Amino acid sequence: MEGDHSETRGKVGDQVMQNPQALAALQDRLDSVSHTPSTIESLPKSVKRRVNALKHLQVRCAHIEAKFYEEVHELERKYAALYQPLFDKRRDVLSGAVEPTDEECDWHSDREEEEELAEELKKKAAVEEKKEEPVVEEDPKGIPEFWLTIFRSVDMLSDLLLEHDEPILKHLQDIKVKFSEPGQPMSFTLEFHFEPNNFFKNTVLTKVYKMKSEPDPAEPFSFEGPEIVDCEGCDIDWNKGKDVTVKTIKKKQKHKGRGTVRTIIKQVPNDSFFNFFNPIKVSSDGELDEDSEFTLATDFEIGHFFRERIVPRAVLYFTGEALEDDESFEEEDLEEGEEEDHEDDGDEEEGDFDPKA
Amino acid sequence: MADIDNKDQAELDMADMEDVEEVEDEEAGEDVNSKARQLTAQMMQNPQILAALQERLDGLVGSPSGYMESLPKVVKRRVNALKNLQVKCAQIEAKFYEEVHELERKYAALYQPLFDKRSDIVKAAYEPTDEECEWKADEEEELTVSKQEEMKEKAKVEEEKKDEEKEDPKGIPEFWLTVFKNVDLLSDMLQEHDEPILKHLQDIKVKFSDPGQPMSFTLEFYFETNDFFTNQVLTKTYKMRSEPDESDPFSFDGPEIMGCTGCQIDWTKGKNVTLKTIKKKQKHKGRGTVRTVTKTVPNDSFFNFFSPPEVHEGGELDEDSEAVLAADFEIGHFLRERIVPRAVLYFTGEAIEDDDDDDYDEEGEEADDEEGEEEADEENDPEYDPKKDANPPAECKQQ
Repeated sequence: MEGDHSETRGKVGDQVMQNPQALAALQDRLDSVSHTPSTIESLPKSVKRRVNALKHLQVRCAHIEAKFYEEVHELERKYAALYQPLFDKRRDVLSGAVEPTDEECDWHSDREEEEELAEELKKKAAVEEKKEEPVVEEDPKGIPEFWLTIFRSVDMLSDLLLEHDEPILKHLQDIKVKFSEPGQPMSFTLEFHFEPNNFFKNTVLTKVYKMKSEPDPAEPFSFEGPEIVDCEGCDIDWNKGKDVTVKTIKKKQKHKGRGTVRTIIKQVPNDSFFNFFNPIKVSSDGELDEDSEFTLATDFEIGHFFRERIVPRAVLYFTGEALEDDESFEEEDLEEGEEEDHEDDGDEEEGDFDPKA
Repeated sequence: MADIDNKDQAELDMADMEDVEEVEDEEAGEDVNSKARQLTAQMMQNPQILAALQERLDGLVGSPSGYMESLPKVVKRRVNALKNLQVKCAQIEAKFYEEVHELERKYAALYQPLFDKRSDIVKAAYEPTDEECEWKADEEEELTVSKQEEMKEKAKVEEEKKDEEKEDPKGIPEFWLTVFKNVDLLSDMLQEHDEPILKHLQDIKVKFSDPGQPMSFTLEFYFETNDFFTNQVLTKTYKMRSEPDESDPFSFDGPEIMGCTGCQIDWTKGKNVTLKTIKKKQKHKGRGTVRTVTKTVPNDSFFNFFSPPEVHEGGELDEDSEAVLAADFEIGHFLRERIVPRAVLYFTGEAIEDDDDDDYDEEGEEADDEEGEEEADEENDPEYDPKKDANPPAECKQQ
């Protein structure tokens, strides 16, 4: 090895390794530094025995916890019914079916006041300039492209969005969350409600997420509440030529021997948000390859995100307010505070004698 | 050629495929993309369009409401209606969390007998039966029967030696102290002089506020009789905000700890580890004489946990106190959510691997294997745990 540094280190190391006292001290030091599970092995038998008893109690706790989550699920079901009228109204407003009253639209915020000021200024300035109205002259109904805008604004969703999906998503009117009934295996369903359109015949596209809600007997301590373990999509009744999840490609092929060229047409899968409704199936026994596992994990994340954040707070994703919250959250670096040693004795210095003290 | 052209893929002979080499790939059908590209190119050459675009973009950049501002007035109006609906949602959500809190209170009562039993075993008030102590080791660790027997015999002999040397340990000695040492968040608070005191910690309980009271939870630290202080229980109460703030209704994301109070510790004389005396030599400037002054100053100790900085209504805290308080809330939450419910798993270390998420990434440390995408834990109740969540209402915690 080159370099004095490592040589010296090597020599010292050798010395230490040969000195039994040093070794023992080292060992002690190492033992006290790490409190790893292996220290459990060093416990007296009678104590280990009692620790096992505690583990048994812990398994029982896990089972009680499972019942707790079932009751939470029931609570969520109950509250879903309480939110529903508000969500229905939301859908009516954004689809243009219902026009909210002035009172219902009353919203005061700092921004609003700024906007009103800006409006007044604009009016004064724009006397001569008759600014052209946006190309679309017709009075917009409801809140156009409400859900599409949300998809575009939220990274997790915009990642799934392709250009050819957008005209279809303009027809998305509502996304609902439905909960499994008591007694059924725990699951939730996302329902995507579309207005009649040229692309497919379905009025609703569904995605069901199945959950594991009990501790795994082989691994009871890994249970931390219900977890999505599987999902199921639905068949989309595409109109002819409108299926964005497939594309036809032409391939020219040259016969090696003969030299003739032919063109064949193939149908291959196309990237599209609508593949969301045709997820990879989790085989009951089999393992998935890494890619598929990752895709599925992402899918579960998205399902969860729809249920927990998007559907309950859609307008805040539309305006972008919720994005700030989500973002600022990730940026929070909980740095370990550098603790200042308060051994510092303040301002008094040696040598000063303040008679007033 | 005509035959072969436009043949369906299914009709092609596999053998045929081997003989061909692919020359080109083209997308058939409406070449939407290229049309769009053409249009865009045209647009970019039109100065008027460019200017309009620029203006539009200027208006949008920098503020999330940029998009909002560009909406027609009639639409904005309806968006405001939706925001009012959202406020109503937030109010319903607050009631939801109240009910969740009640549920937690109800289940706390169901867990309590198990926790009491745990406490009895730890402090040697109860000796569990053989049946209660049976525990199968991990399958991976299973050895062949003979090897096992061999090891058992060896271990037995060693154990017997050990047991003879020490007195038969009662219960599980230093149970909670070990938990503290194993958990970074707690060991960070632990000083050497705290350890002899924490050996006397017998139990930590979580108590919930009663219905109708402002939402809070209390951590109770039960100590056996000791030389350090006369209290049997030290308490820390965490107060929670459980309703949307009227001026900011959308920031409500469930109950959140917003304050805490400790308790007074009746220290035995000379045993107060939260204080230390220092001697200072002082020299009189004029006379030159030197005197020694004894001062009492605060000392780092876990037991400062019971005298946290006070949050005054409307008052601001200095940066340091704010940081201390934020860390304190985290600890309170962690004790309630993880430590107390799963103490044995922190004692053995099994739970620590699970918790090893990016909350505690330190610069310079060897990166641990990060399992998938994990996001930081919220301090709010309920937690947003990456994969799983131990807290309602988000029962399934994939994020």
